[in-house]
Amino acid sequence: MSMLQNKLRGLSAWRLMALACAMLVCNVAIATPPLPDEPLSVETLPSPVGKHWVWVNDIAFFNMPDGRATLVDGDTGKMLGMLSTGYAFDHLVIPPRGHIIYSPESYYSRGTRGVRTDVVTLYDSRHLTPIGEIPIPAKRAAIVPQMSAERLTDDGRFLLIYDYTPAQSVTVVDTRTRRFVGEIDTPGCGLIYPTGARSFFSICSDGALLEVRLDDAGHAAGLTRTAPLFDPEKDPLGENGVRSGDTWWFTSFHGWVYPIERATRGMGVGRRWSLFSRGERREHWRTGGLQYLALYRRTGRLYVIVHQGDLASHKEPGKEIWVYDLATGRRVQRIALRHMASSILVTQDPKPLLFTCFMGSGNLDVYDARTGQYLRTIHSIAETPTIMVSP
Amino acid sequence: MSWLDSMCERSARQLARRVSRRSMLGDLGAALLGTSVLPLLPVARGARAHGAEAQVKADPGDPTQCDYWRYCAIDGFLCSCCGGSQHSCPPGTQPSPTTWIGTCHNPADNRDYIVSYNDCCGKSTCGRCLCNRNEGDKPLYVPFRSNDYDWCAGSQSGIPYNCSISRIIGVAK
Repeated sequence: MSMLQNKLRGLSAWRLMALACAMLVCNVAIATPPLPDEPLSVETLPSPVGKHWVWVNDIAFFNMPDGRATLVDGDTGKMLGMLSTGYAFDHLVIPPRGHIIYSPESYYSRGTRGVRTDVVTLYDSRHLTPIGEIPIPAKRAAIVPQMSAERLTDDGRFLLIYDYTPAQSVTVVDTRTRRFVGEIDTPGCGLIYPTGARSFFSICSDGALLEVRLDDAGHAAGLTRTAPLFDPEKDPLGENGVRSGDTWWFTSFHGWVYPIERATRGMGVGRRWSLFSRGERREHWRTGGLQYLALYRRTGRLYVIVHQGDLASHKEPGKEIWVYDLATGRRVQRIALRHMASSILVTQDPKPLLFTCFMGSGNLDVYDARTGQYLRTIHSIAETPTIMVSP
Repeated sequence: MSWLDSMCERSARQLARRVSRRSMLGDLGAALLGTSVLPLLPVARGARAHGAEAQVKADPGDPTQCDYWRYCAIDGFLCSCCGGSQHSCPPGTQPSPTTWIGTCHNPADNRDYIVSYNDCCGKSTCGRCLCNRNEGDKPLYVPFRSNDYDWCAGSQSGIPYNCSISRIIGVAK
């Protein structure tokens, strides 16, 4: 001890202070508890789902056996999870209630060859795990995805799937019994637009509509074909349709809006109006993209991706969205996009977000749907994002 | 808009043109027009008579490029970049028996040709030279004039799609 005292006497005051500080720091480090051991765990999604979540469907065009869908929170820009959904994937079908996601899928026993198996896979929406599957005929249409390829009836009871072999039909699946019900032949007509709990229509190649009524078991109870309602040669309607109440809204290649609704004598077209003024037509403004229409039902606002191009540019993405009031047919807003968009979706809550994506980029952009203000970009969310659905 | 923005937009549009869509369909046309007695094309006769140079003049353009005249409504990976040609499938694939048809204008002889866009099937997507042009393309509810179907659906190989060809099947009247 006397030796230590002697040594300390030999140190200057500042050196003593430095030594004391070092000992203090050392003590603090020793006193901090170590990080705890971590259990191996898997995340579960919260319930209910977020109002600003969105599923981005991906056909994985460069690797088609590996279709997928990715769930994103638009508020945080965080990816929440994903599903693997097989060959030539179209999109997830989300029922209005419950914790189930339906996914019509196709698989080959040897990846790209062997026996084809088509199923509707049922996923638990909180755990994103498959909890069952319903075998269906291996006829599901392999197409560039469209919402109208796979739809639920209004009450969610029957899942309807567009078939193309190249014969055209609709597969009916009972979601209550989780069984394949049967096929309804729709020769010359394709795609699916529900009009009630037990009815839908398809669009025919001559511009007519084929109305199909179902019985309570999901079998065809009656088919009615209208006269041609538009000219598919001169000015075809795009496949996109958005629905408000009993009216389906379509736009034509030349920019006319067609309200299609049930009248006393069956399906018909209401008063059509133009998206574009004469001046805008001279400037070659057109609709374009893949999922190029979105509807915000609370205010009846129709969002449309537009661009300037020739008549064959109906699949071109756009860098502007024009917003229309469906009640008056007037344009009420122009939104300049930060990046090119081929698909859009607007959430239906009181503070809606506008999502945009482009098959060629793989990114997802988020805007305030009311003001058009750009909020954020979520990068590399898909390989070839096609269409989006709300969970 | 800055030059950089312009460049990015231009490249994005080109990308969209090439990448955004898949072609698929086939053509009732092939069935309707028949494949057994195809007209002997002026371009083919010219090629035999005058050799490669004459063939290029009669059938101008680069079949590995999206702006080749007969790709006016193609949608998919160009088989010319995948081991095949503008009218033949790559080794080991199977041509779709059904397809969709379009009409493209040949600037060399000022004729419109009927073109069958067959898909080549049985392998995963080639992934090279993606091209999407839509002259005369119709929506999915007009199948035989829509390039948004996977025409491999009608083949023995099933829906696995590899690439697309653009085969002349006649002169449009």
